[in-house]
Amino acid sequence: MSLFTHTTRELIVKLDEFFDSIEIGILIFKEGIRAYVTGDNEAFQNHLKKIDDTESKADKLQRSIENEMIVHSILPQQRGDVIKLLDVLDEIIDTSKGSLNEFYLEIPKVPASLAPDFISLSEVSSNAADELIPAARSFFREPHLVRDKLIKVYYFERETDKMAFNIKKKIFHDMPDLTLAEKAHLRYILHHIESISDRSQVAADMLASMAIRLML
Amino acid sequence: MLVLFISSGLFLGWSLGANDASNIFGSAVGSRMLSFTRAAIIASIFVIIGAVMQGEGASNTLGKLGTVNAIGGSFTIALAAALTVYLMTKASLPVSSTQAIVGAIIGWNIFTGSAIDVHSLTQILISWIISPLLGAAFALLLYHLFKVWRKNTRTHLFRYEARIKVGLILACAFGAYSLGANNIANVMGVFVPSMSLNDASFTLFTLSGGQQLFLLGGIAIAAGILTYSKKVINTLGNNLLELSSEAALVVVLSQSLVLFIFSSSSLANLVGKVGINIPLVPVSSTQVVVGAILGIGLYKGVRNLNFRLLGSIASGWITTPVIAGIIGFFLLFFVKNLFGIDVGHAVNPVIHSGAGMNESTFIRNSIIVLLIVAAAYLVYLVLKEKNKSKKLNESGSLR
Repeated sequence: MSLFTHTTRELIVKLDEFFDSIEIGILIFKEGIRAYVTGDNEAFQNHLKKIDDTESKADKLQRSIENEMIVHSILPQQRGDVIKLLDVLDEIIDTSKGSLNEFYLEIPKVPASLAPDFISLSEVSSNAADELIPAARSFFREPHLVRDKLIKVYYFERETDKMAFNIKKKIFHDMPDLTLAEKAHLRYILHHIESISDRSQVAADMLASMAIRLML
Repeated sequence: MLVLFISSGLFLGWSLGANDASNIFGSAVGSRMLSFTRAAIIASIFVIIGAVMQGEGASNTLGKLGTVNAIGGSFTIALAAALTVYLMTKASLPVSSTQAIVGAIIGWNIFTGSAIDVHSLTQILISWIISPLLGAAFALLLYHLFKVWRKNTRTHLFRYEARIKVGLILACAFGAYSLGANNIANVMGVFVPSMSLNDASFTLFTLSGGQQLFLLGGIAIAAGILTYSKKVINTLGNNLLELSSEAALVVVLSQSLVLFIFSSSSLANLVGKVGINIPLVPVSSTQVVVGAILGIGLYKGVRNLNFRLLGSIASGWITTPVIAGIIGFFLLFFVKNLFGIDVGHAVNPVIHSGAGMNESTFIRNSIIVLLIVAAAYLVYLVLKEKNKSKKLNESGSLR
């Protein structure tokens, strides 16, 4: 009995820490983009280092949770789904880290006039992920509330798409000073920022069906 | 010789353990909340405890239905019930050892010309109908309570599942105890009136003659659980009992409660004081489980009700005892006339006054009519099944 409670308590703490890591990763991502487009290189390097540590912590936690769930036969029926969910959530922080690394490696030239757009896009895209985590936490405590919480994820995903579309239009239609290569590069970088909300939507779809199945 | 005579009861016990244990922990093992080994060990221990400690009540009622007064008769009745279970399982027909033994006892009554205790028979028949309904009611209530509890307490899913797991272990023990207490009557009940064993004193406790038989029967059930129930769960259990962990717990709890209600003398005495009469009769654990599953289905919406399952329960109430009665009757005839073994003599013989039918005669005649109807129904089922396989083969060869 004490084995049950001890393992369960530890696992709940780890799961909460995992969610915390994802939330912190998203926050760092937003700040990292802001630092880059505003030209604050020192802060950007700082964020790069932080997101690397946070992503690695999330990975360790994910592996540990998965192992313990299998070893102690916890949640045998939903285990596959939960492991998949953790995987999809981990991809969000992976993508955030990957995006910041793209900025670091490829040093895209973001015109000053586009800086507010990039910041807004990163914020809206991250908002989708921000709203996803409370829904994921809620799956474990109040599954009946998951669907309500996911509405905002879908909203921010749509907003991200619209905003990205407008920025791309601006780049290709209204900025003749940029070369085609620069435009293509910016489009590629935008796509990376957008993918945070896309991955959040995938996780949201999964969460929604998991919550329904749990409540049946 | 004694061992040879009770061998049919032990075989029936073994098959009950192999088949009915899946009702106790099949859902828990199927939902992967408990390992088979852990569940089987718990069930085996508690089934024996239940049989020895509380097996007397339901056994007495069976004894009233037919006081089998020769060991040869007891042997034949248990054999008839075991054969019925075996043949009907082979023919993929719904079967219950409880209904088989009752049918076989009635077969003995008819064979020896004993009067049928209408009161006991009515109690048994009513309990068969009530037990799945009660199982469904308990399941509905418990499932609702679990859902409300889960919603209101905001318990973490990991913690909730851990508690369900502990609950399943406890329910498995309770279920096995209740199964032993209630269904031991099927296994050893018919031997109790015909065998008089002396009390056996151990250092800490004393076992009466009946309890010694129940202990043997309990061990036979445990042997069935340990040796063959895994195969039954793997082949049958998962199809029927693929449930969520909380539904699995609800099913086991509901079944345990129903079996307990129909076997606890203390509870019967307690509620008897407020004027509620609970008959202590063996009931079919399978039918209670099906009732409980239907109860959960009902909670989720009437659309989830499987009417075929309901039909299979109702048909089991008639076909099983009738087939067991026929087999029992003919086996008694052969055992008596071919081997010259005493199978018992009439108890409270049926009096033919000629002035009209008394209750026993009425039941006796009704049973004969039922026998004919059931035999015809059985033939119909077999022919239908054959026809179906023939059609399937034909459509297969056309492709």
